[in-house]
Amino acid sequence: MFQIISDSGCDFTKEEIQEYGIDIVPFYVTFDEETHLKEGVDISKQDYFKRLVEEKTLFPKTAQPSPQDYVDVYTPHLKAGKDIISLTISSKVSGTYNSATLAATMLQEEYPDRTILVIDSLNGSVGQGLILREIIKMRDKGYAIRDAAAIAEQVVKTTKIYFTVDTLEYLKRGGRVGPTTALVGGILGLRPVLHLVNGSVEQLESVRGTKRVMQLIEEGVVGALAGETQHINLSLGHIFREEDVATLKSNIEAALGMTIVNPIAEVGVTIGTHAGPGALVVAYCKKYETFVQ
Amino acid sequence: MNTWYIIAQVLGVITICFEFTSYQIKDKTRYFLITGIGSFFWMTMFVAMGLATGMSTQVSLIVAGTYSAIRNLVFWRIFSKNTPQSKEAGLNFLLVMIVVALVAGALAIVNAPPQVRWLHTLGLITALSFVIGQYLPGVHYVRITVVFYALVVILTQSPLNILYGDFRWNIMGILIELAKIASVAVFYVRYSKDPKTPHLQFAKP
Repeated sequence: MFQIISDSGCDFTKEEIQEYGIDIVPFYVTFDEETHLKEGVDISKQDYFKRLVEEKTLFPKTAQPSPQDYVDVYTPHLKAGKDIISLTISSKVSGTYNSATLAATMLQEEYPDRTILVIDSLNGSVGQGLILREIIKMRDKGYAIRDAAAIAEQVVKTTKIYFTVDTLEYLKRGGRVGPTTALVGGILGLRPVLHLVNGSVEQLESVRGTKRVMQLIEEGVVGALAGETQHINLSLGHIFREEDVATLKSNIEAALGMTIVNPIAEVGVTIGTHAGPGALVVAYCKKYETFVQ
Repeated sequence: MNTWYIIAQVLGVITICFEFTSYQIKDKTRYFLITGIGSFFWMTMFVAMGLATGMSTQVSLIVAGTYSAIRNLVFWRIFSKNTPQSKEAGLNFLLVMIVVALVAGALAIVNAPPQVRWLHTLGLITALSFVIGQYLPGVHYVRITVVFYALVVILTQSPLNILYGDFRWNIMGILIELAKIASVAVFYVRYSKDPKTPHLQFAKP
């Protein structure tokens, strides 16, 4: 049985990490560029976003785990004779994939009999989480590491993630929208719908009002998944929008006649720093079984 | 009949074709391209009219046509790029266009005879609404605002403009605006029977 490792971009809870026996390499966040805190270790998501809301002048930054961080997590498993699948957040939004790959290359010389496969999720948050869930299922079913990784690469291609934000402020801070767009968009109450295309964040549409954007996301998901729900895994996430995400979940379930089994996730710092409190995320992918003949 | 006058009418017919077509298009980028070309022919129609009847009566319309053509074609380039930078540039451009329209509209109101100032004020309001409507997302804002704008333009160019002592009886100018209104009506009739598809198409897994 191989070991599964992911960066903290997957937005798993501590309980899930324990339950599934996976290891997490955390991202760093800094508020002052001097103290670097590990996500989920030194600072919880709740505390991080609470500070972001309370201190309007705060401009936190996130940093990828270093190759050494990966070496530190990989090594004990290699020593124990385990192979590793390492899933990372999209290489288009972070250098984590490079850190993980570099660490794998370094350790491969030291442990030539072991296999370390690094997979770029081309996704983030609950999208990355979905791919991770499929890899976990394959591990538990006893799949060989190379077979599991090959199927996971297929799952990556089917994973789609869409998200909206409650304010353009944080997209402005992250340079994803300009100051004029943020100002006028704020006055007009514009709510963008963003998605990842080949791993990069792009804006799909922008509409007026929270109610309208929620409706559009629901229609978009239902339109894309109608008739295919048996082969689909779906996850939702949010930052401080418990009520909205619960409504969206039940509406999607009712419209598609399916039960969303994955728990609603709290979006972490990587997507959250750019999207900000009030973000709402939905992702879906094909189940790994779809690719098994 | 003056050759330039005939050329102006031909250019007017070409404008009608482009303007009518533009309001049948749901895709914003293509809409701006087609209406931009339409605005260009609209402007050249006034140039031809100026050559036929004297430039002094057409200068303001040529300026308005040039303003429309540039605005639409710049919006076309901006919308087709669809990057955060292009969107920011588009919004800044929109704000400049609004300021230009406000200044030009204010001057027109101040210089107009008191009894027709309401008409110029209406023109300014509907023109601004239309420009903002063009920028706003979706297919409806631009179509709703263009109807009001077109109605005001018709009012200024037809005998309906009874308050103007020297109203302009410009048949082609009226037909172009009527074509826009008709196109909007046709658009809603065409798509009213379509099954309601989601506004946003999310990718299949």
